[in-house]
This record gives sequence, structure tokens and C-alpha cells, in this order.
Amino acid sequence: MNNAETALFKDKQLGFLIYLGVEAIMFMVLFITYFIYTPASSGPQPSDIFNWKTVVLASVFLLSSSGTIFMADRYLKKDNGKATIIWLLITLLLGLAFLGVEINEFASYIQAGYTTRTNVFMGAFYVLVGLHAAHVAFGCGWLTIILIHFKRKIPYTLFLEKQKIFSYYWHFVDLVWIVILVIVYIPYL
Amino acid sequence: MHIPLFGKTIFLTIDLVIAWSLLIILLSTAIIYVVRKHKYPVIWEYIRTTNHRKIGTLYMIFGFLFFLRAGLDALLIRMQLALPNNNFMVYQLEKYNETFTSHGTMMIFFAAMPLLLGLMNIAVPLQIGARDLAFPFLNALSLWLFVAGGVMFGSAFFLDSSPAVGWTGYAPYSTVQYTPGAATNFYVFGIQIAGFGTLLTALNMIVTIIRNRAPGMKLMRMPLFPWAALITSFLILIAFTVLAIALYLLMFDRLFGTTFFSGEDGDPVYWQHLFWFFGHPEVYILALPAFGLFSDIISTFSRKKVFGYPAMVVSLLMIGVLGFMVWVHHMFTVGLGPIINTFFAVTTMVIAIPTGLKVFNWLFTMRGGKIVFTVPMLFAIGFIPSFVMGGVTGVMLSLTAADFQFHDTHFVVAHFHYVILASTILGIFAGLYYWYPKITGFKLNETLGKWHFWLFLAGYHMTFLPMHITGLQGMPRRVYTYGSDEGITALNFTSTVGAFLMGISIIVFIINIVRTTRHAQPAGNDPWNGRTLEWSVASPSPEDSFTPMPLVERTDAYWYAKKHNENMKVAENPRHAPIAKDTLLPFLMALAIFVTGFGLIYQSYWIAAISGATIFVLFIVRSFNDERESVYGRGDVK
Repeated sequence: MNNAETALFKDKQLGFLIYLGVEAIMFMVLFITYFIYTPASSGPQPSDIFNWKTVVLASVFLLSSSGTIFMADRYLKKDNGKATIIWLLITLLLGLAFLGVEINEFASYIQAGYTTRTNVFMGAFYVLVGLHAAHVAFGCGWLTIILIHFKRKIPYTLFLEKQKIFSYYWHFVDLVWIVILVIVYIPYL
Repeated sequence: MHIPLFGKTIFLTIDLVIAWSLLIILLSTAIIYVVRKHKYPVIWEYIRTTNHRKIGTLYMIFGFLFFLRAGLDALLIRMQLALPNNNFMVYQLEKYNETFTSHGTMMIFFAAMPLLLGLMNIAVPLQIGARDLAFPFLNALSLWLFVAGGVMFGSAFFLDSSPAVGWTGYAPYSTVQYTPGAATNFYVFGIQIAGFGTLLTALNMIVTIIRNRAPGMKLMRMPLFPWAALITSFLILIAFTVLAIALYLLMFDRLFGTTFFSGEDGDPVYWQHLFWFFGHPEVYILALPAFGLFSDIISTFSRKKVFGYPAMVVSLLMIGVLGFMVWVHHMFTVGLGPIINTFFAVTTMVIAIPTGLKVFNWLFTMRGGKIVFTVPMLFAIGFIPSFVMGGVTGVMLSLTAADFQFHDTHFVVAHFHYVILASTILGIFAGLYYWYPKITGFKLNETLGKWHFWLFLAGYHMTFLPMHITGLQGMPRRVYTYGSDEGITALNFTSTVGAFLMGISIIVFIINIVRTTRHAQPAGNDPWNGRTLEWSVASPSPEDSFTPMPLVERTDAYWYAKKHNENMKVAENPRHAPIAKDTLLPFLMALAIFVTGFGLIYQSYWIAAISGATIFVLFIVRSFNDERESVYGRGDVK
């Protein structure tokens, strides 16, 4: 990266980290909301509906994708395009697998008749975990665009910048999942 | 009035008929003007611009339009309250509720905020030697998001579904059980969309101030307006984020049947906590930028540097931090218990210390200076005693026991109008007169400006001073009438006259702008004999400002260069400027979000889904039109 690129990259880096700070506050308020409203006085309780197998499966997919994108970052630094792409593709697949598990989980609750209307616990669960799942879905779309940019052969430094910003996002989404595990799932498994 | 339309008859109240007629007349006049004078290139230019001054100008224009609309609401409220048992047009009962809700919400979110953000956009980069905000594209998006939110909220009245829940939107009244239908949805989505814009501007402002200052412009060499902008931006990041989630939860309560704020397990007080955790810092978000620009203006027109500059910075910081520790003083009567109430009473009183410190420093800045009584300086001088009066009632309100008497009376109305009008609105006018040459190249007429100032100041005190007494007499806020035997008729009538004086002063201000546009001579780069960097660039500020880049070696560097008859030193190798490229995308993105919002307001999920998908398509288009592609990948050139 030359001077101009470094300066512009640092702008973007700082801006994006501040944005992630905003996201962190958003999730924090939702965690507080979940904490206040769970368990509800009537209707389904968290310990009735959570299934440890789904939680473990989803966590394995998402948490390992943080590792794979780390590998992609390392190969990109060494300018090894092919390995970067492979690791990015694995990351995308893991993200999609996580989404599949989440959709399955939500669908099973809705089939059992547990929707946002059921009680405050279900409401707090959906607004929090649903927003996180939406973040993963957005991330998968974003990663696809990054892969297309690689195909287009945009300048290496610009690709490096885009890739780095994305990996901050991806690690952040992973971190939020860990907090979800600790606050939403594990106390009730 | 019954109007036949497509074989149906629609019933419209008289105010809606008048409003629609006025809207149609104004819009067609505007269209005819544009067509006659061939102004499309200007519109096309401004719709696609990413330049900070032009975006700031658009913020000012739209903010001022919403200010007029909200001011009109205020006049209607005062007409209804002018006499006891009054029946002014239709402004009773629910209509009265709609009017004060629109007045409060629009003044705070769609007038005061954008006018301040506009001034920040125009002045902050020029004051710190930045060539633009760090993210020009994002800046344009923030602007159009604010416009989308404002137009959405503003249109609620024309569709006869104004929200009537107060600007605080207290649950459970704001939940679907008590206010079904679109009206309250306009409140939720209008503020949510504009709020995202505000968040992104705050982010942009922080990165600009931290990363884009001119060489040598250390943080402690910055003028105080950028300092205030920096701290305000941090407050916005925290406060508006909490508001965004509060509105997100309320949206789920209203559209998707959750029960966070009502029902068996729901908690209306949780809404109050979330709202005031945003709402109180919001007061400082409105006040701090005004503090900053008053400091610069007072220093400029006293021909002295700011007295106690480090103390001014520290007090801004302290107000910012303490601002997050006082929200419960809006909720003393909720019943949270004496311990909690006492804690928040004490923190509230503590805020008077840094604020008082600032007041003394402004006075000491003027002391011994050669004061020039220009219009911006008049606004600054008018601000100090007026604001102090609001501060004193603020300390009175912080006394919990007394607050049980003051709560929800016109005493509170008087208090918050005293602080917000004195700081924010006087500040905005001061800033507008001060930087008008940098925005347009012309100086506003001083004589008309003085008329504007004195009429406004007189009207302001005449309106709100009597409210202290009516409030202490027990006149509740948000109630549309009072009895003739309550002994508050004369005071209320005085308030109404004062409100109209303020209205007249705004007309004087508009005449001033029109006259200046037609007749004024170019003002030159430095019409006020200023101290800070913005006066070293051309008026109006060019898109490639600061070429060559000045080297800043002390506070008020431009002033000392002038005093020693030197040119400012030129900095070698300044950093790369943010990349600006005109683009229609921010406007289109905001338009798509606007349509999505309307879809959700009226719960037509198909429209929402289609326009929602369009937003993501536009994101992708944006990714493939990255302005950075033209700059990157040139190897080791600088």
C-alpha cells in the first residue's frame, strides 16, 4: 500500500470499527431486553424449547468460519490468490450452513406455534437471535460480492482493504454469537 | 368538508383542506420557477453532490423548511391557548395532541438536529483544514436519509394520520392496543430512518476530526466548534443507537405482536428508560454544538482568544459524560424510589458545574476585549443570560420533592424551551449569520439581522417567561384549554403575542435572505476579520479547499499570521484527500428506504419486500462503482 492508500484505508478502518461499536451497543440493549423478559410468566420457557444439538451444530459452523477467514487473510497477505479464494469459499459455505441450522430452528418453533406473539420471552428471543441471523445472511451476501470482486481483478490493495473490512465484520458477528450462547442458550440447556 | 373523489366522498377537516391547497400552490410555484428559470442543472448537481458545503447547505434548507412547519404548529397551539375555553378552528382534543406531537418531534429531529448537522458539515472541515468529510458518499447518504425521514413524518399530517403520542411516544399509549393504525407508525419509522442518517453523520464527523486535520492542527489547537462536534458525535453514537433499538422494539410491538411495552409481562417503564437514556443526552447533543460555535463567535468578535481554552474542552467532555447519568430526572414521578431519585438528582445538579464554568469563561473572554456588536455576536450575547435562566429552572427541577409539583406543568415547558431555544436556536441563527459568507459568498444584511435578533429575543422571553407562572399555578402541559376563572388568561395571551413576535422575526429573516441573494456584494474571504482557518479559503468555499495545505503551528494560527502580516506556512506532503465523486446512489438508496418505510407503515409487506430488496441491489451497485478503484493500485506513488 502506498501513502494515499494507507491513509484512506486507515480512515475506513477507524470508521468501520466505530460502526461495529454502534452495533455492539445495539446488541447490548437487546441482550438487556432478553435478560429482563426471560423467563416469561406463562407460555413456552427457554428450557422447554432449546435443543442442545442445534446449538452445538450452529456454533461449530459459525465459530470455525472465524478460523477459515483468518486463514484467507493470511494467504492474501502472502499474495496467494488461489488459497485465499478456497478459504473464503469455505467461510461462505460455513456461514450458509449456520443460516440453514438457524432457519431450521426458527421453523421448528413456528411449527410448534411459538411466534413473536406467544410471550415476551419468544419476542425477545426472535428480535435478538433474528437480528444476528440477519447479520450472518448479510455477511454471506457481502462475501459473495467480495468473491466477484476477486474475479474482476480489482487492484490488489483495494481487494486487500475490502477483505480486511469484511473480516472485521465477520469476527464481530462471531463474537456476538458467543455472547448469545452465554446469555441466551447455555443457562437454559 | 366533503370532497368527491373516484365516486367516493372523502371527509377532510378544514385545516387539511387549507394545508393541501397551500402545499399544491407552493409546489406548483416551485415547479414553475424551476421550469422558467431552467434550474435543472442546479438541482441535478445538488442531488448528486458529495461535497461537504453543498450537503451542509441542503441540510440547512430542508431543516429550515421543517422548522417553518413545526413553527406553524407552535403558532396553532398558541392560538388555541390564547383565551380560556377557546375553540380555535379544529385544534381541540385529539387534533391538539397531534399538533404538539408534530411540533415537538419535528423541532427536535427534523429542525434542530439537521440545522446543527448542516453547520457542522459546512464549518468543521474548513475549521480543521480538512478538504472534505472522511466519507463523502456516506455523508450524502446521511443527508438523504434525514430528508426521507423528515418528509415521511411530515406527510403524516397531509394523510390525516398525524401521530398523537407526544414526542416521547410513551408506552403503552404508543402500542397498537391504544393507537392502532398508521399514525404512530409514522412516528416510529420517520425517526428511525432519520436517526440512521444522524448516526452515520456522527461516525463520519469523528473519523474526519481524528484523521483529516491539517498538519500541525493538534487536537488542543482546534477551535471549539470542532471540539463540540467531536464530543456531540460520540453522544450521538451512544444515544441514537439506544433510540434505534427502542424504536425497533416498539415496531415489533406494533407490527408483529410482541408485548415488550404493554400487556401482562410487558413493562411501559422500560420504554421510558430506553427513551430517556437517549432523550437526555439528546438535549446535550443539541446544546454542545451551540456552546462550541458561541465560543468561536465570542472570541472572534471580542478580538481575543478563548479564555481558559483547556477548561472549555474539559467542561464539554464532562457535560458529555454526565449527560448519560441523569436520564431518570425525567422519571422522578414514576416511583423508582427515593434512593434512585436522589442519585439522579445529585448527578443533575453536578452538571451545573461544568456548564457554569463555560458561562464564566464566555464572560471572561469578552472582558477587556474590543467587542464588535455584529449580528452573530448579538445572538451570542443574548444567549448567555437566557440560557442561564433555563439553567436555574433546571436546578429547581432537579430537586425531587419540588419536581413532583412541577412535573408535567407549563413550568417544565418554560424550562426546556428556555434551554433549547437559547442554546440551539439562537446558536443556529448565530452560526448562520456568521458562516453565511462561507456558504453563499454574501453577507446577510446587518440592519435586518438586528431586527430579526431583537424581535426574536423579545418574543422568546414574552412567550416563555409567563409559562413559569402559569405552570406554578398548575396549568398542565398537553391540555388544550383552561378555565376563565383560573387567573392565567392574561399570561397565556401574552405568551401567544410573544409567539407571533417570534413568527414575525422569522419573516424578517426570510426577507433578509431574499434581499441578500438579490442585492448583496460579494463578501470576500474574511468578512469578519476571523481567527480560524475557514476564513483563509475563498467564499463560498471551493471544492478543492486548502490547496496548498496550511501548516498550523498554534491555536488561531490564521489570526496570528494576519497580525504579523505573514502568509501561513505551507505543509509539505499533506495526506490524500477523501475521494469525492458525484453520484445519484445515495439519493436512490434513501428513496428505496423511504418506500420501504411507507410499506411497513401501511403494512403492505409486498411493497416493503420489493423496495427492501432494491436497497440491497443498490448496495451491490455501489460496491461495483467504488470511487476508490480509480485511485488504488498505482504502486508506490504518493
